[in-house]
Amino acid sequence: MSKRRREVEEPETRWQGLGVSDGVVIGRVLRVFNGARQVYRATLDEKDVEKEVRRFRAAIRLARRQLLAIKTRAEKELGAEHAYIFDAHVLMLEDLKLLEDVEKQIREDRVNAEWAVKVAADRLLAIYAEVKDDYLRARGSDIEDVTQRIIVALSGERLNYRRLSEDAVIVAEDLLPSAAAELDFEHARALATDSGGWTSHTAIIARGLGIPAIVGLRELHRNARTGDLIIVDARHDEVILHPSTETIEQYKSLVESEPQPRYVANEGASEPLRTLDGKEITLRANVELPAEYEDVRRFGARGIGLYRSEFLLMHKRVAPTEEEQYEAYLEIAKVAGDEGATIRLFDLGGDKIGGVSAEWERNPTLGLRAIRYSLTHEDVLRTQARAILRAAARGRLDVVLPMISDVMDVRRATRIINEERARLEAEGTEVGAIRIGAMIEVPSAVMTAGKIASEVDFFSLGTNDLVQYLLAVDRGNEGVADWFRSLHPSVLQSIYMTIDAARKAFIPAVVCGEMASTPAYAVVLLGLGATDFSMTASSIPRVRRTIEGVKFADAQEIARECLECETADDVEELVRVYFKEKWPQLFPPKSLPAPRVEG
Amino acid sequence: MIEHRVRVTNRLGLHARAAALLVRTASAFSSALRLERADGTAAADAKSILSVLMLAASRGTELVVTAEGADEVEAIGAVCALFVEGFGENER
Repeated sequence: MSKRRREVEEPETRWQGLGVSDGVVIGRVLRVFNGARQVYRATLDEKDVEKEVRRFRAAIRLARRQLLAIKTRAEKELGAEHAYIFDAHVLMLEDLKLLEDVEKQIREDRVNAEWAVKVAADRLLAIYAEVKDDYLRARGSDIEDVTQRIIVALSGERLNYRRLSEDAVIVAEDLLPSAAAELDFEHARALATDSGGWTSHTAIIARGLGIPAIVGLRELHRNARTGDLIIVDARHDEVILHPSTETIEQYKSLVESEPQPRYVANEGASEPLRTLDGKEITLRANVELPAEYEDVRRFGARGIGLYRSEFLLMHKRVAPTEEEQYEAYLEIAKVAGDEGATIRLFDLGGDKIGGVSAEWERNPTLGLRAIRYSLTHEDVLRTQARAILRAAARGRLDVVLPMISDVMDVRRATRIINEERARLEAEGTEVGAIRIGAMIEVPSAVMTAGKIASEVDFFSLGTNDLVQYLLAVDRGNEGVADWFRSLHPSVLQSIYMTIDAARKAFIPAVVCGEMASTPAYAVVLLGLGATDFSMTASSIPRVRRTIEGVKFADAQEIARECLECETADDVEELVRVYFKEKWPQLFPPKSLPAPRVEG
Repeated sequence: MIEHRVRVTNRLGLHARAAALLVRTASAFSSALRLERADGTAAADAKSILSVLMLAASRGTELVVTAEGADEVEAIGAVCALFVEGFGENER
């Protein structure tokens, strides 16, 4: 490969963020543009060369259309003054210097377009890196963004790029689920993103994999280059880009002396989990990436409480076929074993399912997504239902409907699932008995939980989205992170109401979402009546140890007091004081919510 | 072929926005348009943004614009006007 910037020329810079998954790692940057892929070289047959050039040109046209749409939107929302950068990007896409270089590569070296784009980009970046002008040197990131966009556009006909180098530290603006699904995370050493918070996708993935992660690094992505040396120190909420030799030496001894943060597997996992006063508690696993499958058993989960099926969509951008889904669900059932798995129907917006041509939504989290999408695109729902019903004949599977607003959503989805069941049976295909549950994560569902409870087999409480929708706070938006309060009294009240409605209807309620994986929060949830949790598998041993050490009655007492609090600050203060006094051995100070600092 | 000497007067130099404007303007003409640093250290095709950015022309840099083709007079006029007007940025 062409040579990149020499590291010695780069001064060490330090970036403060929020460590959301513990650990320290020294590695090399893999810069990920939202949705970015790794590129591999393929050699073409002579007869395919012109086809490849045409494929490249089609990708340029697609990327250009996307950029023009983004530019129009930016002009409208930010004003023309701020949209100019996209104009520059469009011009870069159209730049003959780049186009001719790529096409020449494809023809002369008979390589795939992705590789040719990468080589051309690297060559340009090397030239820019030589320039003695800070502003201009920063344009390198524009070139990376433009070429990544071409590569993404090329992937319409997908190739398999999923391998990372051994020391890859993924640096992204934000790790979208789509990007997450495309990377082979087993080799990722750490994650570092510009935005996001404790419950962002980045944080969830990192904790699931047991690798360090820091979010909220603001401008890191723009300033890092693939291949740069980087240290991710989640313990000090810090990223060090281009570390000096001395810094690296310092950290090397630190990394070696510290135990790796992976938790010891499976301890006492075969015993049923009980609180000190004998209340039986179930801990299940949330699963998305195949890399997490192994963790289900390793950390002693009682089956899979939440399988995020949208993972299947994300490397394809079109709904997978019934057969593909059937195979995937069968595998999930096998991983989950006797305890079974709960498959959440696709929880995504139309942009992810319908491909890039889908209409842009002004407010996608409140838009046509999850069950709403499935109900308006019945074929997608029917295919998924058939695949699950068939797989359930050979393993224990349940279905949970995401983003339910009221009983109507439940009735419509249930009717379609039952129609498919009848059809399969009429065809003589074997189907399994599945239970149908509702995700309770929208405030209207909380308020009508009693009604919904009488029409479903179980509840899944999605705490991440519940907090977001209840408090009207975008959980990916770092600017409003202060308003995202998992311990807000309204959140606790909603959880209590939902669990209470389930109890009165004699149906189980499983609390999914990241709240349950934080031991202190798990105790509050326990006190609110939750006895069934689903969380990132690697969090299970920690939460298990906590629950074994507390009394259900004590948890109830503190939960009652929390419900009386006026503000999230009051709840946190209460938790801090009470836990420290009551269970000092279980909760070291760092495990409790930190006091808010004003300003 | 005609040529004309200009000076970069806007504060940020030939950065992304100015370069984009320059390339858009130049591309509207059929003539070949080139920019060369007056000190002869670098030259660029005015219709390629990647090439224009590589000039790294900061404020105060002197450039020689050359145009060659059927509409070379109009082309060089339009491009030089951008430099004179500071790419519409100077009054801010």
